Amino acid sequence: MTTVAGSASSPQAVADAAAMRPTAAGLRTEISPLSPRAFRAPVARYRAYAAREADAMQAPVGQLATALRRGDRGAAQAAWGRACDRYLLLGAAYRALGPLDRAIDGMPGGLRRGVADRRFAGLHRLEHGLWTGAPLASLVPWAVKLARDVHTLRRVVRTIPITPLDYATRAHEILEDAQRDLVSGRAAPWSGAGVRATADASAATAAVVGTLVPLLQGRGDALPPVQYGLRRLDAELASVRRDHGGRWPATGALTRAQHERVDGRLGAVLESLAAVPGALETQLPRAIPALPALAAPKRAATR
Amino acid sequence: MSVDRRAFLLRSAATLGAGGLAGATAQQALAGSSPTTAPASSGATAALTARVPFDGAHQAGVASPPQDQMTLVALDAIAGDRSNLVQGLQALSSRARQLAQGTTMPEQEVDEPPADSGTLGTTIAPDGLTVTIAFGASLFDDRYGLARRQPARLTTMPAFPNDDLDPARSHGDLLLQIAAQRRDTVIHTLRELMRPVRDQFALRWTLDGFQSADRGPTPHSSRRNLFGFRDGTANPDVSDAALLDQLVWVQPGAEEPGWTAGGTYQVVRAIRMHVEFWDRVGLREQESMIGRSRDAGAPLGGSDELQAPDYEADPKGARIPLDAHIRLARPRSASTESQRILRRGWNYHRGFDAAGQLDQGLAFVAFNQDPRRQFATVQERLADEPMADYVTPVGGGYFFVPRGSRGAADWVGSGLFAA
Repeated sequence: MTTVAGSASSPQAVADAAAMRPTAAGLRTEISPLSPRAFRAPVARYRAYAAREADAMQAPVGQLATALRRGDRGAAQAAWGRACDRYLLLGAAYRALGPLDRAIDGMPGGLRRGVADRRFAGLHRLEHGLWTGAPLASLVPWAVKLARDVHTLRRVVRTIPITPLDYATRAHEILEDAQRDLVSGRAAPWSGAGVRATADASAATAAVVGTLVPLLQGRGDALPPVQYGLRRLDAELASVRRDHGGRWPATGALTRAQHERVDGRLGAVLESLAAVPGALETQLPRAIPALPALAAPKRAATR
Repeated sequence: MSVDRRAFLLRSAATLGAGGLAGATAQQALAGSSPTTAPASSGATAALTARVPFDGAHQAGVASPPQDQMTLVALDAIAGDRSNLVQGLQALSSRARQLAQGTTMPEQEVDEPPADSGTLGTTIAPDGLTVTIAFGASLFDDRYGLARRQPARLTTMPAFPNDDLDPARSHGDLLLQIAAQRRDTVIHTLRELMRPVRDQFALRWTLDGFQSADRGPTPHSSRRNLFGFRDGTANPDVSDAALLDQLVWVQPGAEEPGWTAGGTYQVVRAIRMHVEFWDRVGLREQESMIGRSRDAGAPLGGSDELQAPDYEADPKGARIPLDAHIRLARPRSASTESQRILRRGWNYHRGFDAAGQLDQGLAFVAFNQDPRRQFATVQERLADEPMADYVTPVGGGYFFVPRGSRGAADWVGSGLFAA
């Protein structure tokens, strides 16, 4: 079959799509699907990027352990921040990591005994101890465990399967997680690192979107507003950092005006990013088999 | 508004006259019954005079139709001793009964604070008010000597995977579910109920809920939640008494203390819904997560909300994905039907969070006979459903709803304290 460049569709299918002609299933997306092959190069570029970030996480985790053993809380907090940056910069991989993500980045909310639960481990276990005055020596085992898990991470990110749908969705959802968990102060509640973490999530999004530029160009108009929105968000974050003497302020230290502007820029770029997965579909929405119409049962006397 | 709810309100209005409001008011209610029976989509509102009896074999507010407005009030017991606690519980029942019946403002002395806040005027109409009183597991600690009478299946609600429970919005010694057709009735009730019990109970947390309006297209159509989907379609039929005895009401015998018979376990979950995120998800993905079409509420592939999803004909999830919410929540297999729960959900809206995102969600209320067998089992099945990314349970608790009081001399919970 002759296919239109950059897609898996015939000229007729592309023309039908352009004319919004209904398909047999009565469904029609605005543009014809991409070939899954088109994602090979972007995902390979992302994978190389993620491997670099995972590798770069090992050093600050080691420095964290060293600072804990030395009894230097300030140095330990600084190393924790650098380790956290690297993990957030990984962005697009963590949802696929499953239990390993829980081990490195898990929060205590779903655990029976909360922060006292033995399963509460990783970056946030250390964050809790570092910012609530726990004896530093008591945190050393958690840093050692984290170092071990990061070692596993370095191996896993190189081979982890990433489908086109996963990848296109992650372009959108890295910053959704930032809005839900980081800017709200829900994640990293003890260190207040939510603003810095949002900047990391923005950088991770830019890295993923950067690999997708060749695909997004010429597929509708999704790309320009995304690029514009990311620039606006980054400029806002940079301005906030300048206003705080070149340091990332704690989430709670943002003025109302700063918080409103960061929230607004983030919300705006998310509205644009929401169009990315749809623009990068590799298949038409599946037709849903019909459920034979039966005589509807008598309405239950309830709702 | 469902046919059954309309019939229910009409019945309630028709029973007026035996006491409480003046006959003229009852006459108005009956004369005004035509707007009440018109479909709610035409903008009709329920009569202020609609009344749900406070006393009965079971407490009101469980199997009765959910009213439009609701507030959950968790209280901590601060009573000094057991008899003081009893006084507080007696006062709650007494005042709640009076307000649910409808009353008129008592004579007032001008030099004293009025006996009623007056926010509803001098004729305090019942407005379908129900006050449902329930006990949390913490009430059965060593303070009041109740430990040995704790309902067998009452525990502190555990944190489920993906929960982010805030202790300040969870649990409590007592729970009041105050529901009526109008918000001013609910708020008046809360304010009046607290007056006689200041020495016994302290506010722990509250959550205001509202029902979406009935917007059709048919009188049978379920209302929508804040994700835009119809909710409650698959609820057990509350007119089926035998079914409720299997699923909702605690039965005499077994390992339960005798006083619990006729009661039920109430599960409350404050479920934050990340609505901005949800609104950025493709329609097909939303529908696949739920398992129903958004507009009609029909199971995917179907056309009618009340159609059965027929999973047997769809073993691989070609029509309704295997991890869709409705499929996990109620697989409709012979072995899972005894896990069904009676849901009574209200939407909530309470401002916005630190990230400028709307704090909206579901005040999930469910009644069941055994939270371990029913609610918790369903919840564990839902642990990693795709919809989990879009919701965060932030509060709630497990409570036990005792049987109803036997009349004006009785009070809710009396069985717990009987010798």
